[in-house]
Amino acid sequence: MSDEITPSAVLGRVVATERKPNTPHEFHFWTALDAPVGIGTIVRVESARPVGGVLPKVYGVVTEGFSYTDLQTPLHDVLGADGEPGASALAPTERTEIRLYTAAVLRHVPEEPLQPVPMGTVHLASEADVQAALRMDSYVQGDHPQGIPIGLYRAGGTQAAVHLDADFLLGPEAAHLSISGVSGLATKTSAVEWLLSSIFAHFPQRKGRVAAVCFNVKGPDLCFLDQPASSLDEADRAMYDALGVPAAPFADVRYFAPWTARGTQLATLRSNDALQHNVSPLTWGLRETLQYAEVLLNKDDVDAKADAMIDFIKERVLDQPFNDSLLERTHEVRSFSDLERWFRELLRAMEGANKDVWRTHHVATIRKVRNRLSNISTRCRGLVTDDGSVSDLPFGEFDDRAVYVVDVANLEEDAQDLVFARIVSQLREHLEKRQLGVDHVVVFVDELNKYAPAEGADTYVRKMLLDISERGRYLGLVLFGAQQFRSQVHRRVVGNSGTSLFGRMDPDELATPGYQTLAPATKARLATLEKGQLMVRHPHFGQPVFVRFPRPAVLGGREGVERFPQAEELTLEAAVTKALRRLDPSVTLGWVQDTLALAGEDEDGILSARNRTLQARPDDVKAYFRAQLKKRVMPEQGARRGPAPLRVPTSDDPYG
Amino acid sequence: MREALRALRASGVSAAGTAAPLEVAQRGDEPPRVEGATPIEGTFVAVRKVDGAPVAGVAAFLDGIQRSRVLAHAGVVPLVHGAVAAAVRVRHDRRLRTWESPIVDQALYVPVAALEPEFAAALSSRCRVRDTEVEPLSHPQQFTARALTAVQRARERAETSLAEAWVARGDGPLLVDGGISGAGTAARHPMAIGVVKSHRTLYAASDALGTVLGLREGERTTAVEISSPRRVPVATWYLRLRESGERAPLFGLVRVEVARDSSVDITERADLVSRWLLAERAPVALPDMRWDVMVYGIRECEQYLTAILT
Repeated sequence: MSDEITPSAVLGRVVATERKPNTPHEFHFWTALDAPVGIGTIVRVESARPVGGVLPKVYGVVTEGFSYTDLQTPLHDVLGADGEPGASALAPTERTEIRLYTAAVLRHVPEEPLQPVPMGTVHLASEADVQAALRMDSYVQGDHPQGIPIGLYRAGGTQAAVHLDADFLLGPEAAHLSISGVSGLATKTSAVEWLLSSIFAHFPQRKGRVAAVCFNVKGPDLCFLDQPASSLDEADRAMYDALGVPAAPFADVRYFAPWTARGTQLATLRSNDALQHNVSPLTWGLRETLQYAEVLLNKDDVDAKADAMIDFIKERVLDQPFNDSLLERTHEVRSFSDLERWFRELLRAMEGANKDVWRTHHVATIRKVRNRLSNISTRCRGLVTDDGSVSDLPFGEFDDRAVYVVDVANLEEDAQDLVFARIVSQLREHLEKRQLGVDHVVVFVDELNKYAPAEGADTYVRKMLLDISERGRYLGLVLFGAQQFRSQVHRRVVGNSGTSLFGRMDPDELATPGYQTLAPATKARLATLEKGQLMVRHPHFGQPVFVRFPRPAVLGGREGVERFPQAEELTLEAAVTKALRRLDPSVTLGWVQDTLALAGEDEDGILSARNRTLQARPDDVKAYFRAQLKKRVMPEQGARRGPAPLRVPTSDDPYG
Repeated sequence: MREALRALRASGVSAAGTAAPLEVAQRGDEPPRVEGATPIEGTFVAVRKVDGAPVAGVAAFLDGIQRSRVLAHAGVVPLVHGAVAAAVRVRHDRRLRTWESPIVDQALYVPVAALEPEFAAALSSRCRVRDTEVEPLSHPQQFTARALTAVQRARERAETSLAEAWVARGDGPLLVDGGISGAGTAARHPMAIGVVKSHRTLYAASDALGTVLGLREGERTTAVEISSPRRVPVATWYLRLRESGERAPLFGLVRVEVARDSSVDITERADLVSRWLLAERAPVALPDMRWDVMVYGIRECEQYLTAILT
């Protein structure tokens, strides 16, 4: 039997016994020993006995395989070979052997009456059969197709594109995607990069505009999405062609990264001069940070009284003139520096007046809140600015089919949480008002088990993710979460993922209760899945199916780092020059050196002036920068950390 | 069998329920015996170590099966359903496949003269009926005995038909389960080899009996010729496939039959065929009860026939 067996050829026959009967959801069939059938193969059963005047067809996917001979016990074979394993190979006849497969039903045609699978011939599924079996015919064909290719199904001579339903991937019917698999082998990042390309190529214009926000949480994984891959081979290109997706990097990518602790360059592995045209700083001031103070403040030491104090600051002090008889002057708190001065004067005044309580807040609570809030700008240095300068994602001006990468790989865990919480909340708020600029946003988060763990404290981030997973589909806010162990992610988050992808899985993970519905052979295949292969669960698919997908058409992380080496740490003057030249190419190092020498500012003041200039993007860059140097106010002098080395990946893998 | 049962129902006869197969219920009670035979390899029956290592030489295997069962009674006359099947399984690339088509034959075996003419006619119009030609007033067990014999003859005819077809159109030695002396033209053809597993009749005169029973594994007796009035004379010898050790003396003992051809050196022929048979000891025909004397190809053929006769 050839591997190129045609769908019309009989591949096998359905069998059923009293001990192993067929049911409406499962059947058994046997094949020739060399039939091109394996776990995951989709087959079609044709019965010759009409039901209600119609010859029924049943589609199934192979979930288990058995092989045995006419031996009753292995001992018989031992005896027959006189205990010599090699002797069996010399026997002139091979024992009768069977290949018996179990298949899970994908679809009955007609759907009613739902009966046990009848006896009949078994055939390899054709491309049309795959469409019918996975119920893709309802959304891939017709006047308004809305299929998003996820990969190619291959078996025997059949190759068929497998599509996800856009309404069930990006809402509103269902939404969200969860991808699981062991690190390094499961192709999680690659799969998401490929799927985003596919979404951008196939998401119907009539359904609105779509963009993606990707959080780069480790290494340079997502740092070169706009650069072409160097490792695509003919097979990959053929898959791109077959799936109708351009084998090209993303056309519109914007990068956002906080400054390093020293502040002279952005904390990202995408720091090469040749790639700076679409990299922007990500910095927030007091107002942006205080909105999400709950993310950073430990509930154990910030109690209800402290909460009340923080709320008072947010509502009565922040961003408005604040007067009090106890204070000597009117304060307008817009930055951490302003806030520190406000605290300092307030506490001094209470001490002078010998007061323990001010506006119902005890002095101890005030001191505690001051301590915790002041600490934030230190813990999140590079992201949170003392002076209140803000450089943010373009909420309200998101572009269609654009990717916004937020590189938080070099931030501390607290700061990563803050970034995540604030950006996702902003996306939600803008989507609720339909003011984001796009109608659907895919938020890709790796290591989801860290942000929405199955166990542990109920954090702000986890509550937010639960809310998105349960209600985001109505807003167009779609979560693509990746994790090594699905069992370690909160069950409501993974449970609300309409689509689940599985790369190579850890056997221990497969032993957890979440995988009980999978047959042992399917689990075995998952544990040994090749790179570039996925098991897909989707609401339309009656059973999980295995697909192949091409390597992403974007430059891999390690290759990118090699081709675009990291920029060296610059001197302060050179860093300022580099930043300002993006706005005005006439800015030279000599001009910056002269300007800084005349201004006599310290390092924080210079960086603050640079940040405000970058944020304002003025027409006259030089004049604006000079003006910022003159109006700078002194921030508190906190302890500074040395520049943390950027984490460089140790391995590269075209599938990530 | 369903066709026969429908025919009986249509003829107004109730089925008899689940009766045991006649092959089980009426085991042959022919007494064991020893018969003499004419030596053709030397002047007396002697032990001979098979010369040469076992070697695969058999191209195909032929076996037949039968099943007989009393389906109903018409008065005191049993209506026996008999089914026979035979097949040649040919070996390609160490795997066995059916050669050409198997023969399957099913019929009601009845003494037509003992039945009401209308009933006999009705049966004949609805299913195949074979007349066992038993007198109407015979002993009741005579009816079943004759039916069983008729079924046996049908099986033998099927086997013979296939054996003859093989020697006419097949390619290579055919190993037949049982003797070949009744196999028509195949009994005279060098491609047919019979292997007899049961030894109710031992062809060893009293002085040769000890020689036969004393064979060690890989040894054979010298060949003798056996003949009977209605059968073709064949050359035969005993071969010990497996060491009997402490087991029964017939353990692992088979009798091989080949065509009697005086132009062929019987020693060379018997040694070569014995080497072929010794090679067929693997794989072992377990879990068959007769695994010590059954070659795997015959067992596989039997399983195939059992499957198609179900």
